[in-house]
Amino acid sequence: MMMEILLDPTMLSDFLSTSLRLSIPVVFAALGGVLSERSGVYNIGLEGMMLAGAFGAAVGTFFTDLPIVGLVTGMFAGTLTAVVLAVLAVSLGVSQIVAGIAINIFSIGVTSFLSRIVFSGQANTMTLPGYKAFAIPGLASIPIIGPVLFNQDALVYLMYVTVPLLFYLLFRTSWGLNIRAVGENPRAADTAGVRVNMVRYLCVLGSGALAGLGGCYLVLSQVFLFSEHMSAGKGFIALAAIILGRWNPVGALLACLLFGLFDALQLRLQFANPEVPYQAFVILPYVVSILALVGLVGKPRPPGAVGLPYRRESK
Amino acid sequence: MSLSRRYFLSFAALAFVSVMLAPPAMADAFKVALVMPGNITDQSWNQAGYEGLMNAKKELGIEVAFSEKVAQPDQAEAMADYARRGYNVVIGHGGEFQEAANRVARKHPDTLFVVHNGTEPAKNIATLDFYYKQFGYLLGVIAGRMSKSGKVGFIGAQKIKFSTDLVAGYQEGFETVQPNGQVFIAWTNDWDDIAKGKEAALSQIAQGADVVFPTMDNAAIGSLQAAQEKGVWGFYLYYDSIVDWPDTVLQSAIMDIKAAMVDLLALAKEGKAEGKNYNMDVNSPKAARLGTYHSAIPADVKAEVEGLVAKMKSGELRP
Repeated sequence: MMMEILLDPTMLSDFLSTSLRLSIPVVFAALGGVLSERSGVYNIGLEGMMLAGAFGAAVGTFFTDLPIVGLVTGMFAGTLTAVVLAVLAVSLGVSQIVAGIAINIFSIGVTSFLSRIVFSGQANTMTLPGYKAFAIPGLASIPIIGPVLFNQDALVYLMYVTVPLLFYLLFRTSWGLNIRAVGENPRAADTAGVRVNMVRYLCVLGSGALAGLGGCYLVLSQVFLFSEHMSAGKGFIALAAIILGRWNPVGALLACLLFGLFDALQLRLQFANPEVPYQAFVILPYVVSILALVGLVGKPRPPGAVGLPYRRESK
Repeated sequence: MSLSRRYFLSFAALAFVSVMLAPPAMADAFKVALVMPGNITDQSWNQAGYEGLMNAKKELGIEVAFSEKVAQPDQAEAMADYARRGYNVVIGHGGEFQEAANRVARKHPDTLFVVHNGTEPAKNIATLDFYYKQFGYLLGVIAGRMSKSGKVGFIGAQKIKFSTDLVAGYQEGFETVQPNGQVFIAWTNDWDDIAKGKEAALSQIAQGADVVFPTMDNAAIGSLQAAQEKGVWGFYLYYDSIVDWPDTVLQSAIMDIKAAMVDLLALAKEGKAEGKNYNMDVNSPKAARLGTYHSAIPADVKAEVEGLVAKMKSGELRP
């Protein structure tokens, strides 16, 4: 079965496309998580922000029939959810883990409730306009990887741009230096004149927008409708991808692709091996990530001040 | 920010109290509670349960309550809570509630517990289930007649009695028509992950399947979408889904838990419901039947399937 996938070029590129599609929403959420945690705020609420983003995208597109409006409203809904985290974690100094979990639970409830009002129970049968795949001339004709990477929809191309942009922002600009300083040692950053909580606010809001974008992908590129709890745990996989990717946008991207690859693989392995319990395949992506965490790279070192609220007056 | 925790908490507390002061329910009516694993807008199992409850409320004039998205660890507490509050019937909507019902029923002997798709009826536990294998078999025969590639797909979320029975029947029926054909089976381990449902169907279609049969809740929509996009056939469950998927769905196994619920609750209201298994099959067409045939299904296939149904009714054919 493995050999069949690897040898047949159409099957191989089909398999790789599935892997890519399964990882895109997780990539966006993981990028958001990297941004937030680099500034010193754990974002456990990625799952909830993604779900809010999906709902926002569906509502915006539903009322205007324009996916671009859905994209904006989706990112806005993600950002709005992030405001809650920012207020709780940065201003009020509540435990960031607890605040994040609360956001996830809150988001499941409020999106279900609102979707029943807005779509009056018909959310599962509608088909919203969205982004369809289009080939980039030239690049798409590269054998095997061409159709995988360059015959996708607009949001996938947006992801290709976002990853290097975020990398550049974090590691090559003075803003990025501020963000990382705030995440490593907020007191030193404060002494140097960086407005710690302002930076954290912006990063958490940006994080929400990115996670919301992941939700937009689910609705506008993948299934063209909103379904309750459609994020289905993708935000939690993103949390693992952040650690596996060492709080680096490129690393997080690779980690997500690894998940996507094994998720696609397990779907195919199952029906080739019906005698093996399916749970063995379902856990494959997670087993691989644990092995990668333990074996591939040394001890992870999170940003120094992540999880700690900053109070100027405290010592 | 000048917003302090104290202000925040006092506002939150105020909001909480005003919600809790909602008027209490009235006493001494016949009360039924439904505890569901998923949400009531899934166009599937949970929505059917909810609508069944609402129909019962209307037709029987009973008082009802329900809980959505009750996770496995909370099942027993949710059911016990309704029993303590004096509900006459507490329904667990799915075979996964059996364990919880067993535990709670002993402590609340005056309450009737009903487990949909349950496996162990007891003194005050009634179970209500369908002859899933029959319908899997019928759809399998249609799949066998309609598949040109000789490969068909089945997608389930978890291996529970409902899905293993369905897939066993599906396979058996398919193989009577195409003994050398192949049934691809995929388990997604998630009832809600619609994107994964879609990818599971796409990968079956990529390997040649030209009929797919998804059996999840929310996530099945994704599989049917994949079938629609790729121009292959699909099956679905619970309602006559051809109305929503006119060019994709060949046939639906209408296992109408709604009608079955109303009938059972009517018995319960009269005090006649017993702790036994109520099984719905082709002989109870109000609750369990096939839906509308797609116009692409040839007349002789239709006749063949109707013949099989007749044989099932007489008991001659027991898949």
